[in-house]
Amino acid sequence: MWKYIVAFVVFAALALWLLMKGGGDIDLSGEKHEVPATQPSEKANK
Amino acid sequence: MTAEEKKVIFASSLGTVFEWYDFYLYGSLAAVIAKQFFAGLDPTSAYIFALLAFAAGFLVRPFGALVFGRLGDMIGRKYTFLVTILIMGSATFIVGCLPNYNSIGVAAPIILIVLRMLQGLALGGEYGGAATYVAEHAPQGRRGLYTSWIQTTATLGLFLSLIVILLTREFTGKEFDDWGWRIPFLVSIFLLAISVWIRLSMNESPAFQKMKEEGKVSKAPLAESFGQWKNLKIVILALLGLTAGQAVVWYSGQFYALFFLTSLAKVDGKTANLLIAASLVIGTPGFIFFGWLSDKIGRKIIIMAGCLLAVLTYFYVFPAMLKYANPALAAAQAKATVTVTADPATCSFQGSPIAREIDFRTSCDIAKRTMAQSFVPYVNANAASGSPAVIKIGDKEITAPTAKLNDKGDGFDKDSATAIAAFKKDVAAAVGAAGLSTKADDKAMNTPMVLAILVYLVILVTMVYGPIAAMLVELFPTRIRYTSMSLPYHIGNGWFGGLLPTTAFAMVAATGDIYYGLWYPVIVAAMTFVIGMLFIRETKDVDIYAKD
Repeated sequence: MWKYIVAFVVFAALALWLLMKGGGDIDLSGEKHEVPATQPSEKANK
Repeated sequence: MTAEEKKVIFASSLGTVFEWYDFYLYGSLAAVIAKQFFAGLDPTSAYIFALLAFAAGFLVRPFGALVFGRLGDMIGRKYTFLVTILIMGSATFIVGCLPNYNSIGVAAPIILIVLRMLQGLALGGEYGGAATYVAEHAPQGRRGLYTSWIQTTATLGLFLSLIVILLTREFTGKEFDDWGWRIPFLVSIFLLAISVWIRLSMNESPAFQKMKEEGKVSKAPLAESFGQWKNLKIVILALLGLTAGQAVVWYSGQFYALFFLTSLAKVDGKTANLLIAASLVIGTPGFIFFGWLSDKIGRKIIIMAGCLLAVLTYFYVFPAMLKYANPALAAAQAKATVTVTADPATCSFQGSPIAREIDFRTSCDIAKRTMAQSFVPYVNANAASGSPAVIKIGDKEITAPTAKLNDKGDGFDKDSATAIAAFKKDVAAAVGAAGLSTKADDKAMNTPMVLAILVYLVILVTMVYGPIAAMLVELFPTRIRYTSMSLPYHIGNGWFGGLLPTTAFAMVAATGDIYYGLWYPVIVAAMTFVIGMLFIRETKDVDIYAKD
């Protein structure tokens, strides 16, 4: 079991470190379900 | 746990890691994908594609649950979820190779949507297959523990997507938006290769194998699952008494909490992301713990306790999170008086998940939408019939415009667009002057308390989610298990969970109470608690082969 815990901690630490380094603008809210969020960019609406 | 059992769990969980990796990829890269594939479309075509993308998540997945559930119950678990992972992985990989709109025109978004549909179809069969396969390999009395490993893949998928996207962004720099975004999709080929290789070497589930040898395999699993009331009744109960509540607790604890931190508490994106990720790291072992515990004390009591705690504490926990994350904003909200005075006959419910911005053109809708998007609490007052909506912030009064469509009917006309922009600018200035848009200050934030609240929310998630796979598996007999458990899982999570953001937004917009949206998860979790307590039986000691 301890091997899984160590592997998970290392994996999570890498993710947290990368987030800390430059993950301010990444969207962690997952796949969007509502239509407006999947609408194209504003360019297409002009 | 034997080496073979570990292999079973690993092989099954890899597929669900894939599922989650894909889920987060499409969230994180939504803006880039829209630019690459939809930017050249006219608004009407774009809306049709958006509807199709919406359908991929909401309709195709439950349909996939039926298609692959049926196959799984007829030809076997092993081959079915070998097919689902092949379709899912290949579709994800092909997205990474797909030429964009500039290269092949409208064929690009069409192929992308077809690939999304295929992914949705395969996803519909993946979770049920993994849960069934693992549970049917697990010894009696340890199904909760064994299947709980599958539930940890949500966190693993999130971290994997984070690592791949952030590393790719680091190495491709400014090129990320042009071609670098393809790498996270292409990388999925490695996950696919490993998954297929392992799954090919696996044996069929012993329960299915035995049933096949005895000639007892169902010839019409769909008719048996949903055409016979004794089974259909359990499917409906599994949806309303288990997965609906599980889904809203999960969405609230992870996604709504993130939304709350960034949009309502105005915490900067980096701090909010770090807090959410840290809470997941701390809380994730809870999946295993509650899975294990459910083998000892029962699944039902843990899932119901998670739902009940959500019902009883959400209205305390979220306001506390605002107070600890952004005390200045909490104080400003307590002091400020904001009123929206509008003719109620012109105010519509803004909760349709397929509505567009241009569907809200009355003065009332524009006023309330602007306020809800600013996450400023307000009180409603009724205006005389026909009068425009007026927002009063302190002493300042701002009248909301009424909008008209352009000649094509696919956007606001020029005057309306200008008036709306000016109105939003005035509102933003008044909101700022009242201190209602104060950003969270890292020095003033009580980080340990915010983290403690987030961990508490994740623990509720692990309580409802840790034992759910074992419970669903144990509700149904082997001959229709795959079909019967997949559908309530996907409807529960896709519909009840997936609709949380839009429904909560509409409830906030309608009332002006920034916490009013919490009634949605609270009511759904309460419904699950009541139905679950009354009609769902405890299953931990059920012999899942008894009815074979």
